[in-house]
Order: sequence, then C-alpha cells, then structure tokens
Amino acid sequence: MMSLIDHLSPDFLGRLLAGMALNFAIAGTALALGLALGVPLALARVSGGLAGAASALVVTFLRAAPTFVVMFFLLNVVPREMSLFGTALSLSGTTAVALSLVPYSTAYVADSGAEALRQLRLGSTPAALLFLPNVARAFFVLVMSSSAGAAIGVTEGITVILRQAERLPALGDRLALFAVGILCFGATLQAGFAAVNLLRRHLNRVALRRLTVQPGPYRTESP
Amino acid sequence: MVVPSRTARALAQALACLLVLAAFAIAAPGARADEAPSPDTALARLLDEARAGIPGACAAPDADRLVRVLCAGSIRVGVRADYPLFAAGAVRSGYEIDLARAIADRLGVGAELATVKSSNRIALLAEDRIDVAIATMGHTTLRDGQARFVRPHYYRSETVLVGPRELAVTSWADVAGRTVCVTIGNGSNAELSSHGARLMLFESPEQLLDRLRADACSLIAQDDSFFAASFADPAFASLYDRKLGFAPVPWGMAVAQAGGERLARALALTSQIFHRDGVFLDIARANHIATGFFEEQQAIWHRPECDTATGSANPSCVLPPLASDLGPTRVADRVAAAEAWLSQRTGITLSLPMLKTMPAWRMFRTGLINSLVLVAGAIASTLAFALAFGAALGARERFLRLAVRLLTVALQSSPIVLTLVIAAALANAIASYSSPVALAASILALGLTNGSYAGQAISEATLTLRAEAASDPAGGRDLFLRAVRRSATQIMAFVINATKGTPIASFIGAPELLSALTDISSFSSERATTYWILLIFYTAVVILVVWLCTALRSFLERRGVPT
Repeated sequence: MMSLIDHLSPDFLGRLLAGMALNFAIAGTALALGLALGVPLALARVSGGLAGAASALVVTFLRAAPTFVVMFFLLNVVPREMSLFGTALSLSGTTAVALSLVPYSTAYVADSGAEALRQLRLGSTPAALLFLPNVARAFFVLVMSSSAGAAIGVTEGITVILRQAERLPALGDRLALFAVGILCFGATLQAGFAAVNLLRRHLNRVALRRLTVQPGPYRTESP
Repeated sequence: MVVPSRTARALAQALACLLVLAAFAIAAPGARADEAPSPDTALARLLDEARAGIPGACAAPDADRLVRVLCAGSIRVGVRADYPLFAAGAVRSGYEIDLARAIADRLGVGAELATVKSSNRIALLAEDRIDVAIATMGHTTLRDGQARFVRPHYYRSETVLVGPRELAVTSWADVAGRTVCVTIGNGSNAELSSHGARLMLFESPEQLLDRLRADACSLIAQDDSFFAASFADPAFASLYDRKLGFAPVPWGMAVAQAGGERLARALALTSQIFHRDGVFLDIARANHIATGFFEEQQAIWHRPECDTATGSANPSCVLPPLASDLGPTRVADRVAAAEAWLSQRTGITLSLPMLKTMPAWRMFRTGLINSLVLVAGAIASTLAFALAFGAALGARERFLRLAVRLLTVALQSSPIVLTLVIAAALANAIASYSSPVALAASILALGLTNGSYAGQAISEATLTLRAEAASDPAGGRDLFLRAVRRSATQIMAFVINATKGTPIASFIGAPELLSALTDISSFSSERATTYWILLIFYTAVVILVVWLCTALRSFLERRGVPT
C-alpha cells in the first residue's frame, strides 16, 4: 500500500473527487431529462388506448437501446454544434454521456411512474410514493453508468483512476488502486441505497400517519 | 609551293576531327536544353501560353484552372486554421501560409486564403471552391484517385505517438490493448489499429492535446509536424515525450482532378525551383520547422537530372506516395452504384465503407461474428455465475456465504467499466494480450457482474422458500430448482442487461462490432451510416434476446414448469 501511495500523483485525490463530481452531474442531468420525458410517457401509458400503446412501444425501444452504443452514436452522428429553438447548443463529450443515459432513465421513470399512478388510482398512497425512492435508486445507478464516459475521453472518476493506473509499474499497485476506485464508488452507491431505504421508510410512516389522522375516500375501498 | 607531307595531312585530318568533336561538345548542352529546358524556362513558357488567351479564354466555360486563376488575378488556397507552425492563428501565419503567398507571387497573382479541414479539403477542391489545397495533406496512393497531387512534395512528416514521460511505451507490443486518441481520417490509423490499439476518435488535433492535458487520453497520435510547437514549450516537453514514430508520408499540394492539369504543372515547376533555390528551406527556417527534409531536397533538385522541366516526372527525383490502397471488394462497384441510386432517388446519403474495401470488410465481418460470440458468451456466463452465486449465497455454510456476499457487494459496487479493466489486467497477467483474451475477459466480467445480481435474486428466493418450507413439510424438496424458477424474471432481466452491456467490451479491446466500426471510421472518415448500423444491430440483438427470453418463459409455462 505504501508503494501505491508513493506512486500516486500529489493531485490524484483532488482529481478523483472532481471526476466523481462530474459523474454526479452527468447522472443528475440524465435523470432530470428522464423525468421530463418519462412522466408524460407514464401518463400516456395509464391513460390506455392508442396513446398507451404508443407509449409502451416507445418505452420498449428505449429499454432496448444499449447505453454505450447510444453514446457513440450521439458523438459521431449528431452535429457538435446545433441550434434548438434559436439557442445554440454544443454537444460535448460530457453532454453525450448524459444524453446516452436518457433512454434508460426515461424508460425507468415511465415504468415506475406508470406503476405509481396505478397505485394512486387504487388508493394506495404509500405504494405510489415508492416512486420517489425508485427515482433516487435510478440516480445512483446512473452515477455508476456514467463511468462509460471514460471510453470517449470524459475526465470522470473512472478515467482519473485508469490514467493513474497506467503509470503504476506493478500489477499489485494497479489492483490496489482499482480497489480504491471500487471503495469510492461502492461507498457512494451503498450510502445512496441506505438513504433511499431511509426515505422509503419515512414516506411509509408519513403515509400511514395521514391515513390514520385523515381517512381518505379510498380508505373503505379494497386495495 | 610546299606540298604537305603524308604525316602533315594526317595531323591536319586529326585536328579537323578534334575541332568537329569540340564543336559537337560545345553544341551538346544547347541541344539538351532544347530537349528538356530548365524548370524556370518551362514555367515561364507555360504561364505565357496561358496568358496568351486572356481575356478571351476567361469567359470560356471549359477554361482550365490555370487560366481561371490568371483571369481572376488570385489563387484560392485552402489552408488549415488550427495547425501550429504550419497554419494557425487569427492572423494567419505559419509555413503553409507563407508558402501559399510565395507561390501566388511566383504565379503573378494574389493569394486568397480559405480555411479547410482534413475532412473537407478534397471535397472543396472537387466542388471548385478552392484552386489548390496546401493543408497538411499527406500524399497517399488512396488520395491519388481523389485529387491531383503536385510533386515534388513540400514537406514530409511521420506519425508519432506522444504520451506522459512516465508511461512505458517503447514498442508496438506496448501499444497493443491501449487506447490511442486519433483524428478521424488520419492515414496512419489503419496501421495503429493493426497493432492492436483501440482508437478513440476526435475531430481535430487540438482536441487531442486537450484530452492529453486533461489526462483523458494517455496516448495521442498525430503528425510530428503538429507536435513541433508543443515540444518547443519546455513545460510540455517536461511532461510528455515521443514514444514511437511510424508511417512517414510526403505532404503534397493538391488541385482538382478535372481541369487541374496545367495548374498542377505550374505548381510542380514552382516547387522544383523553390526546392533548388532554397525558398522552401528559408520559409521553413522562418517558421521554426525542422530543416532536414528541405536540405535533403535542395541537394536532390540541384542534381542535373532533376533540375530540368521533366524532373518532377523522374522517379529518382521525387518521393513516392504512401501506399495506402485498401483493395476493393468484389461488390465495391455495385455498392457504390446502389449508394448513388439511393441518393438520386431519395436524397438520402448512404455510405457503406465496410462493404467497399477488403480490410474494412474483414474487420466488419470479424466484428459481427465476435459480437455474436460475445453476446452468447455473456448470456451463458451470466446464467452460470447466477447459479453459482445463488447456490453459494443460499448455502448453509456461513463462511462460504460471507465470502460470496463480500464478492457480490464488491462486484455490485464497481462500475462495469472498472470491472472490465480489472478482468483484462488479470487476464493479461496470465496470457499476453490478444483478441481472444480480451473477449474471454469481457465475457467473464459481464457474467460476474450480472450473475452476482441474478444470484442474489436466487438466494433471496431460496430464503423465502425456506421460510415457507418451515410451515410446509414437503416444501423443502428441490429447493434450489424452485428458487431458480421463482427468480426467473430477475434472471432474465440480468441476461438482457448482459446483452445490452456487450458493446462495453470494446473498452478493453475486444474486437466486437463497435470496435471494428470505430476502426473503419477512423480511416474511411464515414461515420453517420456506420453508427446507425451499429445502433440498429445492437438494439435488434437486445430485442431478439428479450423475445427469446419471453418465448422460453411461455414455453416453460405451457410445459407446466412454474416460473
């Protein structure tokens, strides 16, 4: 371990933290866009009819699109400079990674959102509120998936680790550094999931309290 | 009267012969000059001939490019805007800029500079938007069919790999399996790819430097000329060095194929004169460019057999183009015809480089086969690891459960990219890097990651079945098999996830379709159709796997096997 520390660049920790911050920023952007697109798809799905069928078809294709290939597709096919409603947009590598995660996040939000809406109609508020922890879970999955940016030259957390590893002479040191990477991302993921569970429990308690204090119209209906 | 003796007559005859021979000897250079005048004379004659028709010829629709340049009084020169020391800066400066102006002066016209990129310089010539490209363009046999190159060449470069000083790369063996950042369309990309390098594509050389400085690329490849300015900076030189040099290529000015014959001839003669008189050398010195090539060329163009009007056609005087012919496939013509037909009928631009040249076709076919092998392998290993993890996590031995639990947490906490890199590092420690090793490592990593999730689902199902078995004495039989059936939905979800993840294998050099098409794009410069094909292929594969999983589930349900 001492050997590894000796070989690490002095600014490694700073760059790793900055890289991981970029992973969070990418995941946040992808989730925000996923919510913006997924919620209307969920509403269409529960409305049934033609809109519901169209929504289901779109979600099927979004679910089938491999994130990694979508990222390369965006980077190589979509023009780098474009204009949307008069606003000039530039497709950077970071933006391409965020956009490549949008099909997954949209499909996930559409599925979870449709389920939440169904539960709301059935009168089960606690089950509907599970949408929030589900979205939070998706965020942490997106943080992990954003490491795909390493393949297109985005300086996120895994890129920082891999570049540092290339400069380590011994395999043992490289594996130790990879373990540090797993620890950093793993700790974030596990802490995130723990927070999600806490949030879910809290929402359950709130929902139960509301049902106890203020019986709603669905209280007498079967769940 | 003195009658000459026989000896005197013989002497007189011999003297006469000598005088005749001397006269021939004196006349001979003049005769050679008539056959092959100097390049200066030939250029003056060519320009005079072209000017003779002006202004009448200016309006002629079939006027050649030289006449049109002389009529316009200026030559439109395509130059780069982003190539330090050669052509860069808001106020254009560099070797190629000075060269463009010197050539215009020699032709007696003004220079009108237009910015071009490596991806459009030949197209702009063909579209008659520039008269000549002096734009860092390597002369290759492949490009010979696309533009008319001027010889002698005005520069020669080679591609170099540059990376951090502490990175140990000294031979091609060290390059195999590494990611090298390159610019699209660079002629040396095919050679890099053939040595096992994974290519990461960028639009411009500046992006390569940015990515190197940001530590997003550990190796970048570009012409040595491009790095000249960077290595002149002590800060850059203290951090990075040149690792390997390969693929020397002469740079040529180029004019359009159609109507460009006489303009090319004028430029060729000018270039001969410039090499011989040291004009190129002086311009290079003024722009801090290494002068070895120019000194070598100056010596060549001083040689009598080269310093003639026909010197540029003499193979012993000029450099050959870099051999880059890729060899067409048997269907190349039909593919080109189909592309043209589609474009004419629908306006859709479709380009299928993977079907037109043999190396591209071989890469495409191998990539396709490897992708299918990878998908099948990832599915099989996911199922195998799911069963193994499920059995171990549901085992009654506490130590085994704990060990596998820790492994599961580690696998689930590692981004898939990192898991792949670790698998590749371990695989390469056991066997030297090769495509099958990269494929095997990818299958292992994808199987481990997805299998750990699916195995966890099996173990959770095992626990619930054990709880149910406590109240049902018959419930403990075939526990594991029933747990697998109960978690079938989760297992299928992770099998599909593994299929979706297979393109990531390209990150560690597995030669699947994404990797193959990226390599093809790197030298064909075509990307739109290529990446559409890639997206459609992988989406179709995922949909097929989803359909097969659903069909299998329906089949098992029909056979009375509860899932």
